[in-house]
Amino acid sequence: MQLNGQHYPYRTGLTLHAIIADLGLRHDAIVVMHRDDVYKRGKIPDVPLEQNDVIEIVRMMQGG
Amino acid sequence: MFTPDTNDQLIIGGRAFNSRLMVGTGKYTSFEVMRDSIAASGAEIVTVSIRRVEINAPGHAGILDALDLTAFQLLPNTAGCRTTEEAVRVAKLARAMTETDWVKLEVIPDAKYLLPDPVETLRAAEILVGEGFTVLPYIPADPVLARRLAEVGCATVMPLASPIGSGRGILTRANLEIIIEEATVPVVVDAGLGVPSEAAACFEMGADAVLVNTGLAEARDPVRMAAAFRDAVKAGRTAYLAGRMPVRSHASASSPTRGVVRNPEPEVPV
Repeated sequence: MQLNGQHYPYRTGLTLHAIIADLGLRHDAIVVMHRDDVYKRGKIPDVPLEQNDVIEIVRMMQGG
Repeated sequence: MFTPDTNDQLIIGGRAFNSRLMVGTGKYTSFEVMRDSIAASGAEIVTVSIRRVEINAPGHAGILDALDLTAFQLLPNTAGCRTTEEAVRVAKLARAMTETDWVKLEVIPDAKYLLPDPVETLRAAEILVGEGFTVLPYIPADPVLARRLAEVGCATVMPLASPIGSGRGILTRANLEIIIEEATVPVVVDAGLGVPSEAAACFEMGADAVLVNTGLAEARDPVRMAAAFRDAVKAGRTAYLAGRMPVRSHASASSPTRGVVRNPEPEVPV
């Protein structure tokens, strides 16, 4: 599977919450795009993932 | 005695603001300096960006914990996007992150001068307006493009004074004047303003707002410079409302021309 443009090792039973936990991220600090769905900050469901999924996890940063 | 016009508010997307200075959050040496600078600027509209978390080094929550989100109208940008598709995707991520439908639309394929792509910007703007976003597009100072963007429903136009982060001031004056004269939406002069006098000049021309980031963040004392920009914005706007004197090609004496104490025959004819 692909996470933020990079290969990410898939394992059976992997879910969105498991990936967020793997990365040590706070649910209220990130937004997730999974296929065509965008999940709001703090309201990310524990979606089961598949081997070919493409996921984006973003955060808010400084900018002009 | 002069009293400031408290009704002179900036209206964007149905929201009213007392400050006409928008500020960015980039390039500060620390979150503390950033926070103090924003406070000193008096800005109510603050830009942020959306970036992928780093998979190998996720780190902290970014700017989220450093800003009181309830105190500002956040204006997330689509900086870094090179195409319509990328910008629309980032706008959707930004909306989910900030819970505002405001987006500073940037579609910029060129990294050297960071000049926006007018064609892709117009395409992206149409799509985002259609999806309910309040779109503030960053654009070249092109009056025709500005009109087209207003026609498709953008909340403002944000023409550039000079390239982002260049500090070169107002290089696009002639076109900015046309954009301002023809505008049906607020004109926010964005990018390239390095010193407060340039911000004041934008308002004297009739701009509705300015956006400054590097001019504050790269000043020797960003907090002090933020206060200077705040004052310049007020001065420029007040001067615009006051209406400037006419420009003449010749002098016009300020003192009475009659009753001058002179010798009967001056050595120098007047």
